[in-house]
Amino acid sequence: MLETKPTDSNPLLKVEGIVMTFGTIMAVNNVSFALQKGEVLGLIGENGSGKSTITSVIAGMQKAKSGKMQFKGKKWEPLSMIDALHRGVGMVVQESGTIPGITVAENIFLGETDRFCTKFGFLNKAKMNQEADDVMAQIGAKDVRGSMLTANLDFQTRKLIEIAKVIMKKPDVLIIDETTTALSQNGRKILYNIISAYKKANKAVIFISHDMDEILNVCTSLLVLRDGKYIRTFKKAEFDEDEIRTSMIGRELKGDYYRSDFTASRSQELALSLKNVSYKDRIQDVSIDVYKGEILGIGGLSHCGMHSLGKVMFGALKPDCGSVTRGNGNPVKDEASAMAQNIGYVSKDRDVESLVLQASVKDNIAIAGMNKYALGNFLILDNRENAYVDEQIKTLSIKCSSRNQLTSQLSGGNKQKVVFGKWVGRGSEVLILDCPTRGVDIGVKQAMYQLMMKLKAEGKSIIMISEEMPELIGMSDRLLIMKDGKVMKEFARSQSLSDADTIKYMI
Amino acid sequence: MKAKYANFAKKATALVLVGAVLTGSVFARPKKAKNVKIGVLVSDVSGEEALGFRAYYEKYIASAYNVTFKYTEQLTNAEEEKSAIEKFAAQGCKAIISLSSSDRVTQLQTCSDYKLYYAIASGMLEDDQYEQYKNNPYFVGQIGPSMETEFQAGLEMGRYFAAKGVKSVSIYGAFIPNPMHVYRTAGVLIGLGATYGGTNDKNAVVGQLFGDSRVNVAKISSPKVAIKSYFQGFGETTTDELNAAIQAKPDAFLSVGMATTFFTSQLNAAGIEFSDIDSFTSGNGKAMKDGKLVYLAGKYSSSIGPIFAAVINAVNGNSIRDKGNAISLSQNYLVAKNYADFDKFYTSDSGSSPIFDKSKLDSVIGSNVSYEAFKSLVENN
Amino acid sequence: MENQNKKKIGKYRIQEIMLTLMPGIALLVLFLMFCIAVISKEYMLSLYLKIIFNEGVVLALVATGAVFIYTLGSFDISLGASTLLSATLGVMTYNTTENLALMIIVIFATGIGCSLLSSLLASVFNIPVFVTTVAMMSVLSAISAQLITSNGGALGGISIPATLLKGLDNPPFKIVVLALWFAICLFVFNFTKVGRKQKFLGGNPVCAQLTGISVNKYAIIAFVMAGIGVALGAFLTIVYTPSVTTGTAGSIGMNILVAIVFGGMPISGGPRSKIYSSLVGGFSYILLTNFLKIVIDGNAGYGISQIISAVFFLLVVYIASMNYRTKMLPR
Repeated sequence: MLETKPTDSNPLLKVEGIVMTFGTIMAVNNVSFALQKGEVLGLIGENGSGKSTITSVIAGMQKAKSGKMQFKGKKWEPLSMIDALHRGVGMVVQESGTIPGITVAENIFLGETDRFCTKFGFLNKAKMNQEADDVMAQIGAKDVRGSMLTANLDFQTRKLIEIAKVIMKKPDVLIIDETTTALSQNGRKILYNIISAYKKANKAVIFISHDMDEILNVCTSLLVLRDGKYIRTFKKAEFDEDEIRTSMIGRELKGDYYRSDFTASRSQELALSLKNVSYKDRIQDVSIDVYKGEILGIGGLSHCGMHSLGKVMFGALKPDCGSVTRGNGNPVKDEASAMAQNIGYVSKDRDVESLVLQASVKDNIAIAGMNKYALGNFLILDNRENAYVDEQIKTLSIKCSSRNQLTSQLSGGNKQKVVFGKWVGRGSEVLILDCPTRGVDIGVKQAMYQLMMKLKAEGKSIIMISEEMPELIGMSDRLLIMKDGKVMKEFARSQSLSDADTIKYMI
Repeated sequence: MKAKYANFAKKATALVLVGAVLTGSVFARPKKAKNVKIGVLVSDVSGEEALGFRAYYEKYIASAYNVTFKYTEQLTNAEEEKSAIEKFAAQGCKAIISLSSSDRVTQLQTCSDYKLYYAIASGMLEDDQYEQYKNNPYFVGQIGPSMETEFQAGLEMGRYFAAKGVKSVSIYGAFIPNPMHVYRTAGVLIGLGATYGGTNDKNAVVGQLFGDSRVNVAKISSPKVAIKSYFQGFGETTTDELNAAIQAKPDAFLSVGMATTFFTSQLNAAGIEFSDIDSFTSGNGKAMKDGKLVYLAGKYSSSIGPIFAAVINAVNGNSIRDKGNAISLSQNYLVAKNYADFDKFYTSDSGSSPIFDKSKLDSVIGSNVSYEAFKSLVENN
Repeated sequence: MENQNKKKIGKYRIQEIMLTLMPGIALLVLFLMFCIAVISKEYMLSLYLKIIFNEGVVLALVATGAVFIYTLGSFDISLGASTLLSATLGVMTYNTTENLALMIIVIFATGIGCSLLSSLLASVFNIPVFVTTVAMMSVLSAISAQLITSNGGALGGISIPATLLKGLDNPPFKIVVLALWFAICLFVFNFTKVGRKQKFLGGNPVCAQLTGISVNKYAIIAFVMAGIGVALGAFLTIVYTPSVTTGTAGSIGMNILVAIVFGGMPISGGPRSKIYSSLVGGFSYILLTNFLKIVIDGNAGYGISQIISAVFFLLVVYIASMNYRTKMLPR
């Protein structure tokens, strides 16, 4: 008999023996559990463990290969996500779920604009916008108006729109799939309030996140999946960080999660220099020197300008004034010149900016490193290319069926590894990492932190831009806090440095 | 996975089976007795004249003479013409009759290369081209209106309406810069008493029309008959252009070709008298009897009979030559100005008893047929 | 469980291989069907195969160059018009100078120039490149028509002396030209950085830009390759028929799209693009249309063969897109 999570007699949602495959990949392997009213169930596991897959089945995004589901005591087989939402199960997805070219109100009421039409068929936009304003205000995002164009809003605001769209339907089961990574502090607060309200109203939430602190605070129970299989459940009283991590990855985490040392170290040699750089209203007169062998952390709220700064450093955005130069004084004019000077860039928006999803693992890794293995700097031979790619797959332990597997079929963590392989493989000396561990499980996170340390030891420079303060504090030799496009404060690495010290410079 | 693989295999098998059935249907056809295959090159597949020609060959000549005519689809350029000839050669055709004019010289050369007899029906090579190729043994000849004949047809049409006293006309130039339409249009303008670009000299007007690739209304000076509008071609803008021509309320709509194919119903509905250069077909007869077609310069549908006779003679080893040269004979247009005229021409060239019927053609098919006899047949009918 | 997984992986790979080989298999099947049809009708097979080759070679030449454009996720419907203009200017050059080498230079300069202009306009005005190609198609056709009719006079077309290139109008020469051009394109597409970058660009221009791949530079390279294909196509068109009329190369523009899709090229371009799609698809399309014309008696079936070709086209697109319907992890 399969192990299942212990259940009460009348669960709100019951899932039995769900199996889901994609080609040769067994994404969910006979998973069963029950969700009680008032429960906030954290669904945790490494990337590829099946969390998103099983929730997508529950939410009606796709049909399981086999298994049964029950919702409120009746058979549950939603025809689509819209059908599921109308019948009481709503999901906020991890990646983008809004259409950029229309307004906030149009996104919220997508497919339902008929109820705002007059008898002559004209759309009453004012009414629709007003209702959208109310919906956003209900979740605590009063600043977001229905008439705003979605394309002009940042990723986290768009996420709030998606949340509002789902909450508006008042589902009994709310599934949140790694949404908090896209949200700022304020956004997270909004979401936690919603979850709290759900608990009080005796509804239920399935919450997927990689943020351990968040999970431990928000959830009332945790269900661990690994390699598509159910592993165990933790009740609130049983929450123990190390034990949870161990059950997620099936082994004890060896070594430190972040760095073991608390001493800042670096070479005296300059690697990258920004002088009086400004860019629109996002970056105001910023000057930064980055040295070889150091990890420079840059943190702040999501609008503080740090993400644009990363792009400016890589030459992807041309500053309005100021200069970006390599340590030897050579300017970084654009992406090609940045790469020629061994600068690499891992974007925050992985699927759109760092990968070609319809290309293979091989294509994505190899494209940036052709200079390394091309013969005569132009001839590409398969054997040399394969050897180059295989080395990265091995070094980074990228889980894929072969180097020719499409990147779209990989889990988030493995995709991120592919991106790393792309830039590390070509020998980048300066690596600009923007939210490098976003959507990545702790096993992979740890591996990435260890890789960063290895690169630092080799004399490479790492610029880590992140919205997760614990990892910035945990990993950086120096930490810059930005606010409103300016560098407000620089912190040196120290054992006593905490969130509280940094937060007052961010807000 | 198994289901998907099976599904794929089913689809692939279905594709192959369809192919096999289609191919097998070829085997199922009963073999015809061996007869002479003649390929026909066409650039017009839907016009009244073209349909008339085809009906004559396929319904009358084919059964009367144990020949099979193989028609092309619409040919639009020289490569398609050449490719069509090569295909006919591969299909065992012995001769090619051409009603397509993208590149007649290449057609002739290709036929010569593949040892197919070649003839031009209802058209002609340029004079210098004829001189260059008249000795080619595979060039049977050409029978049709010369460019001078085309010009005259247009001239008579223009003169007719000028004499009739019309004060204004709209003109349709068909497919200028097609040479025969250029010559016809030049004739119409000059016949109306107009000058074009300051001249009413035939060659000068023709040259300008070729250069302009259309009629530039601004260059027309027409003291007696006002030219209210002009358009040519057929496509997306034709309806608007025709409407503009009709709304100009001309006394007559003069067309140098294809009007009876494209515009009959609209002109009938607008009550505007119109003219055309085409063939004597039932469709055109209806337009003349019940509609507003008042002037038709036409050819008999069977006017392409004699060139067939010349071709079949060549195939059978009895080539008719004009002192060793390919035949070159002009055919004039007949003009019907009323239904009685039309009916006379039409019934004399009906489907079962065309002008160039078997008995007439037999008189010039066989060994020892002289060029003079052949010429006489063409020119006297 | 492991054995089951291995079997699944094996079957999956076989399915992938079959889908990749499908265009080639279809070409073979079409070829056999065609031969059977010709033989059963007692037509001359050797001559018919020569005709097929002549019909397909110009299309294959232009389509092979066009693959570079389609790989970028764009398309160019002005290639037929460029072929016409290249041929037109080539013939006019010869008629003026009687210099064959100059004629060839002008043909290549025109072919490449027209393509370059399309891509430069797109990059300067920052509009999708297929929009500029629509405009170019009209402009180039109009210029060609004007040149042909004003120089052709009563002939209705312009031509070079028939004997000038007649010696080249034979399969061996054309095979050499096609083989050489295909080999060059295959090399660039599959074995150089240029090809790799273009496929990547077609897959995701944003990511490509952030990987140091200049969108404009590689678009220009793609159009130059297409322009060379156009020039070769124009030259062989004149070799086949020494005259140029306003209808010359009229169907190439749209036939290229049909041909490369038949050959297994994804419509959106990107990393799955295949250089051989032009050859395989071009000749498949020609074989199919000719097969249908033989089987459906030409006198009865005007237009029917086009309908059937269109149905086949839709079928091919559907089967090719089956690949994309494989479900993905929801991310």
